[in-house]
Amino acid sequence: MCNTQGDTPIRLKRRPIAQSIENLDQLMNLEKGRMSRDLFWDRDIYEQELERIFARCWLFVGHESQIPKAGDYVSTYLGEDNVLIVRQKDGSVKGFLNTCPHRGNKVCFADLGNARQFVCNYHGWAFGIDGALKGMHASETYEAAGMDKSEHGLHPVAHVDSYRGLIFATLDPEAPSLAEYLGDMRYYLDAIFDMDEGGTEFIGGCVKSVIQCNWKYASENFVGDILHAGWTHDSGAKAMVGGPVAEVHKTPEQSYHVNFNGHGWEFNQDIVGNCATLGEKELLKYLYVLQPKVAERLGELRSRMIGAISSCTLFPNTSFLPGQNTFRTWHPRGPGQIELHTWTFVNKKAPQEIKDKWRKGTMMTFSPSGVFEMDDGENWEYSTRSNAGFVTRQQDLYLGLGHDTRVENTDLPGNVFQGQINEANQRAFYQRWLDLMKADSWKTVPQRDLPKMKEGV
Amino acid sequence: MNAKTAMPEIGVDAETQRRVEQFLYREARLLDNERWDDWLALMAEDIHYWMPTMENRRRADKNGTYAVDRGALYNDNLLDLTRRVTRFKQPTAWAEDPATRHAHVVAGIEVYQGEAPGEFIVHSTFVNYRSRVEKDNDLLVGRREDVLRADGESFRLARRKIIITQSVLMAKNLNTFL
Repeated sequence: MCNTQGDTPIRLKRRPIAQSIENLDQLMNLEKGRMSRDLFWDRDIYEQELERIFARCWLFVGHESQIPKAGDYVSTYLGEDNVLIVRQKDGSVKGFLNTCPHRGNKVCFADLGNARQFVCNYHGWAFGIDGALKGMHASETYEAAGMDKSEHGLHPVAHVDSYRGLIFATLDPEAPSLAEYLGDMRYYLDAIFDMDEGGTEFIGGCVKSVIQCNWKYASENFVGDILHAGWTHDSGAKAMVGGPVAEVHKTPEQSYHVNFNGHGWEFNQDIVGNCATLGEKELLKYLYVLQPKVAERLGELRSRMIGAISSCTLFPNTSFLPGQNTFRTWHPRGPGQIELHTWTFVNKKAPQEIKDKWRKGTMMTFSPSGVFEMDDGENWEYSTRSNAGFVTRQQDLYLGLGHDTRVENTDLPGNVFQGQINEANQRAFYQRWLDLMKADSWKTVPQRDLPKMKEGV
Repeated sequence: MNAKTAMPEIGVDAETQRRVEQFLYREARLLDNERWDDWLALMAEDIHYWMPTMENRRRADKNGTYAVDRGALYNDNLLDLTRRVTRFKQPTAWAEDPATRHAHVVAGIEVYQGEAPGEFIVHSTFVNYRSRVEKDNDLLVGRREDVLRADGESFRLARRKIIITQSVLMAKNLNTFL
């Protein structure tokens, strides 16, 4: 039930875009699977990412279920920009920079809650949940100065919109619509966020942690890297199910990489493979009972994705795992650090005990104390930190798996590749990264992927 | 914080206080030495081992800083704890090899009579410092509220609530018990 904010808001100033870094093309040769390490270390590149990726793309800011009532809000980030996402009295959602237009102090220090207004602690400027400046301490002094309150509301984000309960925002007034931005990825998103009539909800609050790694290592891991699971997560699988991770590389005919506009999903069709790692038989039973109904709703292929061995990243920095039901955003904090925010999603109509088991399952597997995530963080930290070496960071990385796996004649939307052990999605992710880093506006971003789905489906 | 109306604090004799302190100090040493199975043996069959995550909410927000149905780093029964220990013991637990060095410092131990005979409510504070490889150092400081149950000459841990000061865990993982 989100609306975009309509007219280009004059309360959100943007400087003309800084000149693009030269020779960005030389940072990668995706045909050959070659990648420079500068992407994960260089401060200038990071600063341009803040401008050309994070201040431009649609970024995930919350789930509808987190802010059901007027005045409900969450505090989150668009890149390093702190924003408040607030449910309005008419049911729409607005977003504002969490900063007072007077001296710049934060106007909200809580992570979430319900507010009738946001009042700055510094000079008592008070803003309605619609962002309008309503009043302040010693207001007569401002009246004497001839100040017009209507010109000093909170700075709104450029647009807010949602898809299947997932709320996104962008700081770029020129951004394409969310439907266009997600494009054909919506077909696959429905397998998870529209598998059941009631849709999904977030439960159990948000778990936050810091990892000393570049944000792209996390995003590219979820965009397509099931390969690491069999090695990195052997100990976690043995802890949860008493055996190793399934050997998905032996059955490529049953699995895919799909991508669109830099978003990517790797999956097989085993229905419950991810879910099985939570070690809760009741959850498997729930998915097996649901699967035929999903097949009626969305077709056989998508019904087999509902808890399968799979992972997805929505470009640039939001990821989730079907079946394990962890949803997460990797907020960038400089080239060498991220702040990880994670939630648990469930079908709204699922029985409470099933929801509770998923809440525990995400904690046991993909949280800072989880037996799987524990080994991811260290990999990404040292993939980042080794690049401190002046000569080390001049050595290229490899991402060439699955070169000849493109599936040409398929009804599946997006770019489709055979076999989930693949690096096609990673290459598409970095191609999108390069396109955005080179383009000075959305108008000059190459249209590589043409949607099969209709706009606004 | 969710300060539940506390039970009346009825103290215990000095010998019980001493035995409880010994139990907690020994527990800390078992964790420092990665004696995971010996540590698990201190748990009661019905253990609830809980470490909620902290939310920054306004004081007026009745939902409070944490709750049992919200975020947690531990919300474990004995099977969950056993699974975590199983990972620690795998040769493929890469983030444990080379070994992490742990120091569990326990202080401020207060012992009161519990709700049931033979049970004790034990408050303590802790400092946990972990060091890995060259320069990975993680510090956690917090407070625990335990229920210990008499078991022969010693005790079993029946409940533990761990409250840390951080709302954003300033570490890539939590590869220890507190």
